[in-house]
Amino acid sequence: MKKFAMLAWLVALAVLVVSCAPAPTPVPPTKAPEPTKAPEPTKAPEATKPPSAGPIKIGFFSPLTGPTAADGQSAFNSAKLAVKLINDAGGINGAPLQLINYDDAGKPDQAASVARKLIESDKVVAAISGAYSGPTRAAAPVFQQAGMVMLSAYAIHPEITKVGDKIFRIGTLADVQGKVGAELVAKNLKAKKVAILTIDNDYGVSLTAGFKAHALKVGLEIIFEQKYSFGEKDFRPIIEKIKAANPDVVYATGYYAEASTLVSQAKDAGLKAQIVGQEGYDSPQFIKLAGANSEGVIITTDLNRDSKEAMTQKFLTEYKKAYNEDADMVGASAFDAVQVLAYAMKTGGTTTDGIIKALKGLKDFKDCATGPFLRYTADRELVRPVSSQIVKGGAFHLYQEFTDPAVTTP
Amino acid sequence: MSIAQNLSNAMVLASTYILIAIGLTMVYGVLKVLHVAHAGVYASGAFVGLGAFNFVRPFCTPTLEDARLASNLAFWISLPIAMIVSGVMGALIYLLIYRYTWGKSPTISLVASVGLFTLIQDLLQKPFLLGPRQQPYPAGGAGMPRIETPWFMITPTQVLILFVTLILLAIVYVILNRTRIGLGWQAASLDPEMAAAVGVNVTHVIVLNFFLGSMLAGAAGVLVGVYDNMVFSTMGDVPSYKAFVVVVLGGLGSVPGTIVASIVLAVTETFMVAFAGSLMPRDAIAFLVLILLLMFRPRGLLGRA
Repeated sequence: MKKFAMLAWLVALAVLVVSCAPAPTPVPPTKAPEPTKAPEPTKAPEATKPPSAGPIKIGFFSPLTGPTAADGQSAFNSAKLAVKLINDAGGINGAPLQLINYDDAGKPDQAASVARKLIESDKVVAAISGAYSGPTRAAAPVFQQAGMVMLSAYAIHPEITKVGDKIFRIGTLADVQGKVGAELVAKNLKAKKVAILTIDNDYGVSLTAGFKAHALKVGLEIIFEQKYSFGEKDFRPIIEKIKAANPDVVYATGYYAEASTLVSQAKDAGLKAQIVGQEGYDSPQFIKLAGANSEGVIITTDLNRDSKEAMTQKFLTEYKKAYNEDADMVGASAFDAVQVLAYAMKTGGTTTDGIIKALKGLKDFKDCATGPFLRYTADRELVRPVSSQIVKGGAFHLYQEFTDPAVTTP
Repeated sequence: MSIAQNLSNAMVLASTYILIAIGLTMVYGVLKVLHVAHAGVYASGAFVGLGAFNFVRPFCTPTLEDARLASNLAFWISLPIAMIVSGVMGALIYLLIYRYTWGKSPTISLVASVGLFTLIQDLLQKPFLLGPRQQPYPAGGAGMPRIETPWFMITPTQVLILFVTLILLAIVYVILNRTRIGLGWQAASLDPEMAAAVGVNVTHVIVLNFFLGSMLAGAAGVLVGVYDNMVFSTMGDVPSYKAFVVVVLGGLGSVPGTIVASIVLAVTETFMVAFAGSLMPRDAIAFLVLILLLMFRPRGLLGRA
C-alpha cells in the first residue's frame, strides 16, 4: 500500500515537472538585421523619453518556443520585415527603429516578466504584443502601469484594451469578429441552424460570445454547443453528435492545427454542414495540413490576400521573398502594428503622450497590410473592414468584405 | 449508429495508447523507473518516420505510376525505419543514463528522465529538425481498405492502426512468453538479483526491454502522426503523462493490464466527450478515472497485489 502511495506521488511529481518543463528561458535579443545590443546611451533616458540620437527601441514579444511557436515566429518575422522596410525608407524622421524581442513561450507569466524586462532594462519607447490573448492580457497591465503604449497585434480578447488608456489594438475585436461570423452565416450562407464548437480559452470563448450575441438578432438558431481543449486531436465523438443534430453550419473557433484536424475528421465522418472559422485558421499551415479537406471552408479574418491595396501586396511579396514561405494573418497583424506605431511616432514624437495623441488622430490609414484603418474608437479599438475568405484551389480567396459600420464598429 | 461508431473510434484511440504505454510498463516492470523521456522517443519516432517517408517517396514515384501506391510503399518503408531508430534510441537511453541511476533514489532517474524529455523536445523544435511548425504525414491508409457496416465505419487509416497494433502485440506476446530472453524479462521483473543469480543476463534483458518498448513507442508516433496527419515537436506532451495514467491504471508493470487500461481509458474518454459534453477537458477525465480506480483498487486493474 505504501509503495503505491509513493508512486502516486511520483506520478504527480512527474506531471508537475513535465508541465513546467520548458522553463521560462528568456531568449536573448534577436538576430534581427539591425544591431541587437546598441550601446547604452550615455545619459540614461527615461522610459518615455529616449535620446534624440541613436535608434528608437520598440519592444516586441511573441511565443518562439512551445506549442504556439509557429505563430510567434510568423509575427516576429513580419515585425522584423516592417522594421527593415521602415529603416530602408529613412526610419522615424531620420532615426532608425530597433526591435527588441523576447520569447513569451505562450505563457502569461512569462509575458508579464518579459514586459518588465522591456520596460526596465531595455528602456523601450513603446511595445507590441505579437502574442496570443492570454499572454497579452498578462502583459498589458505592466505596460499600462509603466505609462507605456502597447499595441496588441492579433490578440482579440475584449479585456486587453480595457486595461487602460495606453493599450491599443490592431486586430479585430473578438466581439466584432464573432458578430461578422453570425452576419455571414445568416446573410451570405442563408443558414438557420448552427452548431457552435468553442476552443476553451480566451480567444475561443470571446469569439463565441460575440457570435451568439449577434446570432439571436439575425434569427439564427443555435442547436448545439460544445467546448474542447487547446491542442485537441480527436473530434470524432463531437462530430458524431453534430451529425445527429444536423445543423446547416458549424461555427468552430480554433487555431489552424485544431481546425485542420476538425475539417479532416468531419470529412472522414461524412459531415455535410458548412464549417465557418475565424482568423485562427488563417495560415498556409491550415491548407497544408488539411489538404483537400480544407476546400470550401470559410473564415472571417483580417488579411485579405486578394486586396488591391498596395501595402497588402507589398507585404505578401516581401514576406515571401524574405522568408521563402507564404505570410499569414498573424504576421500581417504584427507587420501592421509596427506600421501604425511608426506612423504615430513620426507624427507625434516618441513620448507616450505624443504616440497616444497621434494614434487617436489616425484617419484612413493605408500604409498597412490589413487595412484601411479608418480610426480608433474612444475604447482604443480600430474601426476597420473585416474580411472573409474561402479556401479554393488550395489557397485563401476573398469571399466577402464586411464594411457596414453597423456590423464592424466595435 | 453513434454508439457503435464511438466504440470503433475508441478502439483506435486505445491502440495508440497501448503502443505508447507498453514500453513504459516494460521499463517499469524491471527498473521501477518512471521513464518520462519515453514520450520523447515517441515524438522522435514520428519525426524519423516522417523524414524517411519524405525521403523515400520521391524514389518510389518514378517506378510506380500511381502516386497513391508510391506513398503507400514509402509508408511501409518508413515505419520499420522509425521503429528501429526509436528502439536504438531507447537502448541508448538506458546504456547512457538509467544504467547509472538504477539502484539509486527513483527521484534521480525521474529528474534525469524529465530533463532528457525536455532536451529531446527542444532539439526537435530546432529548424534543422522539425522546426516549430506542424508537418503533415500524408500516408493516408497506406493501402488499407475502408470498412463500412450499417452501424459504423472504419477509415483506412484506422484499419491501418488496428492492423499494425495487433501484429506488434502478437510479436511482443511471442517474445515475452516463448523466448528465453522473454522469460528472462519475466524473471528480472519479479526479482532482478535472483534472476541474475540463476544465470539470466540482466543487462541484456534490460537493453532488449528498452529496445522493444521504444520500438513500439516509435510505431505509435508514426501511426498517430499519420492518423492526425500532423507531426510536431511537442506531440509527446500529452502522452508523457497520459501514458502514466494507463500504466498505473493497468497495475504497474503488467502488460495485459496496460492493454485493458488503454481500452478502458479510451472508451471512457470518448463517451464522456460524447455524452457529458463540455463538462471537463478530456485529459482531466483520464485522471478522474485514475483517482477513482486507485481509491477502490489501489493495485490497478490487473496489478499484482
